[in-house]
Amino acid sequence: MAITLTRPVPERRSAVWLDALILVGFAAFLFGAASVAREWSQPRNLTVDIDLSLRSLPKYALYTFARAWLAYLLSLLFTLIVASWAFYDERARRFILVALDILQSLPVLAFLPVFELPLIALFPHSNVGLELVCVLAMFTGQVWNMTFSYYDSLRGTPPDFRMLGKLYNFNWWNRFWRVELPFGAQGLLYNSMVSMAGGWFFLTITEASTIGNQAYRVPGLGSYMSVANDRGDVRAVIYGIIAMSLVIVVVDRLIWGPLVSWSRKFKLDDFGTGGSRKSRLQLWLARSVAAQQIGAFLQRGKSRLIPPPKPPTAAESLVPPGTPPAQRGKFNRGLYYVLLFVLVLLLAKGAQSIWLLLAQVRGSEWLIILRDAGLSFARVLAAVLLGTLWTVPFGIWIGLNPKLSNRFQPFIQFVASFPSPMIYPALLLLVLAVGGTLQWGAVLLILFGTQWYILFNVAGAAAAIPNDIVCCADILRLSGWRRWQKFLIPAILPGLVTGWITAAGGAWNATIVSEILTVHGHAYEATGLGAYISHATDAGDFSRLTAASLVMALIVVVVNRSVWKRIQSLANERCRFIT
Amino acid sequence: MDSASTPLIELRHIGHDYAAAGQQSEPVLSDINLTIRENDAVALLGPSGCGKSTLLRVMAGLISPTQGEVFYKGMLLRGISPGVSMVFQNFALFPWLTVHGNVLLPVGTLPAAEQQSRLEKVLNTVGLGAYEYAYPRELSGGMKQRVGIARALIAEPEVLAMDEPFSALDVLTAETLRGEIGRLVADPNHPLRTMVFVTHNITEAVFLATRIVVMAAGPGRVDVVVPNTLPYPRDPDAPEFKQIVERLHGILTHTNLPETTPAEAGRVVTPIDESRRRIAPVSLPYVTPAEVLGLLALMGDASTDVFELAERFGKEFGYVVRVVKAAELLEFVQTPQHDALLTPLGQRLVAASTADQKRMVREQLLKLKIFELLVRLIKVQENQQLTAEELLRELQAALPHEKPKLLFRTLLSWGRYAEIISYDQRRHLIRNYESRGAQRTRTAAAVPPADVAQS
Repeated sequence: MAITLTRPVPERRSAVWLDALILVGFAAFLFGAASVAREWSQPRNLTVDIDLSLRSLPKYALYTFARAWLAYLLSLLFTLIVASWAFYDERARRFILVALDILQSLPVLAFLPVFELPLIALFPHSNVGLELVCVLAMFTGQVWNMTFSYYDSLRGTPPDFRMLGKLYNFNWWNRFWRVELPFGAQGLLYNSMVSMAGGWFFLTITEASTIGNQAYRVPGLGSYMSVANDRGDVRAVIYGIIAMSLVIVVVDRLIWGPLVSWSRKFKLDDFGTGGSRKSRLQLWLARSVAAQQIGAFLQRGKSRLIPPPKPPTAAESLVPPGTPPAQRGKFNRGLYYVLLFVLVLLLAKGAQSIWLLLAQVRGSEWLIILRDAGLSFARVLAAVLLGTLWTVPFGIWIGLNPKLSNRFQPFIQFVASFPSPMIYPALLLLVLAVGGTLQWGAVLLILFGTQWYILFNVAGAAAAIPNDIVCCADILRLSGWRRWQKFLIPAILPGLVTGWITAAGGAWNATIVSEILTVHGHAYEATGLGAYISHATDAGDFSRLTAASLVMALIVVVVNRSVWKRIQSLANERCRFIT
Repeated sequence: MDSASTPLIELRHIGHDYAAAGQQSEPVLSDINLTIRENDAVALLGPSGCGKSTLLRVMAGLISPTQGEVFYKGMLLRGISPGVSMVFQNFALFPWLTVHGNVLLPVGTLPAAEQQSRLEKVLNTVGLGAYEYAYPRELSGGMKQRVGIARALIAEPEVLAMDEPFSALDVLTAETLRGEIGRLVADPNHPLRTMVFVTHNITEAVFLATRIVVMAAGPGRVDVVVPNTLPYPRDPDAPEFKQIVERLHGILTHTNLPETTPAEAGRVVTPIDESRRRIAPVSLPYVTPAEVLGLLALMGDASTDVFELAERFGKEFGYVVRVVKAAELLEFVQTPQHDALLTPLGQRLVAASTADQKRMVREQLLKLKIFELLVRLIKVQENQQLTAEELLRELQAALPHEKPKLLFRTLLSWGRYAEIISYDQRRHLIRNYESRGAQRTRTAAAVPPADVAQS
């Protein structure tokens, strides 16, 4: 007889209050969703009044939270579709990857008018249009790195499992759920966390923008902060920062944390002790009746949603001898070409309108754009350099010290997710107080937006240095400059370069929010491409906006390909530890 | 008798290459004809690179061959074969599913009760009854492969295809599992008695198979089919068993090792177009100097069977053959029959000092056409520096059947060891070693370079 073990049922002690909590949570979710729906369906109000009192903060936090998650779901959908398309369609692959690279480098302000005008016109009677603009703008801040990550994990799926899928006749739906998504889950999750932070970064702009002298504002934490900063209401600024921090911490603890520990089961290596490291939250959930019911419901839904693969049958795969090879997929191919044609047509139309816009920009204007680009370029470089100067020693210090990195990790993660534009006005006041100007001060603001990427990557690289090498450096008595030159800097170089690439990309985006600021109703401005783009948006001058955005994207892409990628491949080739 | 009339699987003139559109490439399989009938246990035996795994995948319908036709029970196969289940070398178990989930994967459309009864049956067959809710990472390699076998059996296939099912396991576990599969095959009550498996282990093939298909590489083709009618259970120590093993040894050696003088070696080592022979050099097997020197040191003075060497080192047969081939190309070893024997030069080499060894290897290497080509290529460069890309291009042109990158690394490792060339990794430049006399003293004491990764 077989000895069949049944799944152990978790203890049901102390479950009642948990059930109550889950029910309350569920009710809160419904209430929140209803509240968001009400706000969306209200008569259109392009510049909603923001109430700076503490009482309305929870409501604003809720609206922002909902927008961020809608944008995230959109990003996820986009990622899954576009990355799969790039993976399976060899002809389209190169174009998709190049397009993603360019879109990734475009500043968020370049997208705003594209969404804003048509969507607002589409919903003349409700806030839906404006809200959608907000969601889409956040989406453009979130989506790109997720897509790249999922594409990479599709390419990295072990071939044996693809074979297995083929053998068991998985259709694309089954293959996606049973092979591709599980293998991509960890990378996708990590990038989702990064993306969420990227989405928060432009909150102040996405929720409160001015296009063509028309101000647009939706209720939320971003608009709350921008109004509070405009009016110089220090108390409201502090409340806003606290609310934003709470949102970040709650998302991190209640959503990402459990997801990350759950995703460990998708690890392929055999050495992990996966599954055993359950958080307390998971244990509690396992004991709750309500959670068990939800789990059972999901399980039932799952088997309906993902039907088991039908084994190959003789009728499908066997034909009488002498049958000529089948001409499969003729209809599909036709459809594919039709779709491709439509897409190319749309792209051509887009290119034409961009060209028409660019044609309106005068020669002298191009010179101004180039001068501003040069200034912003200098600021970006300065910020990356300054960031490197302090993050490298600090990152190495905590990276080589596991205890310290455990202690600092949550803090750094929090600071990196916090949208620094919210505290830019405070930083600017600091700069002004010591007698500086925004021309120079913008470097500091940019620095605050991007230094964390370098710190993250340096600390990660330092933590990955094999212990043997550290011991060897100690035995050889490498110290002082030689220690840096021969050991530490080469050892972290691959991580440092990755950090530089991310930081430089972020820094360009940050120029838009740091080269032009309004504090206490007083506008401060620095000469640069970011300020130029902001002005062009405010004035609704789309030809100048397009020109400047394209120049920015071009600089990012060209510098990435010609400088950063080369340094990166060099660093990876020479300075990577092979284990 | 009617099972004999329509074979389960029939391969007719199967050929396959992985060439991308517009490219030419060496075929992996060429003109393979093979018939598998009910109750056959067929072993596909051969060195690595002879396309045996590809052939297995062709039988399962996972790969559609570029030439020829596959028949399943007299019908033409277009797609995944309905009656073939497969066991993978590295198990291919989903880490996020328990044994239960992994094994039930192929039969998800059956009624739940049927699923459960089949599950119990196959888990008992492979001895995993108590592991139903274990995750793969909790299991040892042998247990994982048992899950893999259970997953293949649960669909009640007509043919079980196994791709080197025991080669990822340690020796003892493999022995146990092999014995259990042997009992399954021998059991007249067990429904599954037809199987095809890929192996490079002769004993394994003789232990399990009723027919042994010996394959040869470049391009993959069937060399000989050896029937094996020994009754189950088979005893590896029985003289009849040993006789078949001996016979297979002989066949494999003939197809893999040149038997005669090194002058003729080129024919067997790399089949070269006669018209190009004048310029086409013989390739160097992809092994490092350290491996060849190690082999020579371990061989001793007596002539040794190559298979015995493989067994003694616990290495795959094909790998040992590669090392022996390299040693033979350099005239350190002779291979009469399927034995290997040190030449007088080889004996002197073993006894020599490190510096002398290098000198002797250098002299032998410089006799090879391929090193002649390399040295000449460096000489004709303007500043006596050859770029890596250039060499790769030349290698591809001179030896279109070889893998240029692997050959490049092999050449580098030999050339650097023998102090014929030096290579600047930073600028990807190859120079003549002699031309850098000033640095000679610094690198003269260099140890043999680290092993080139084995494919």
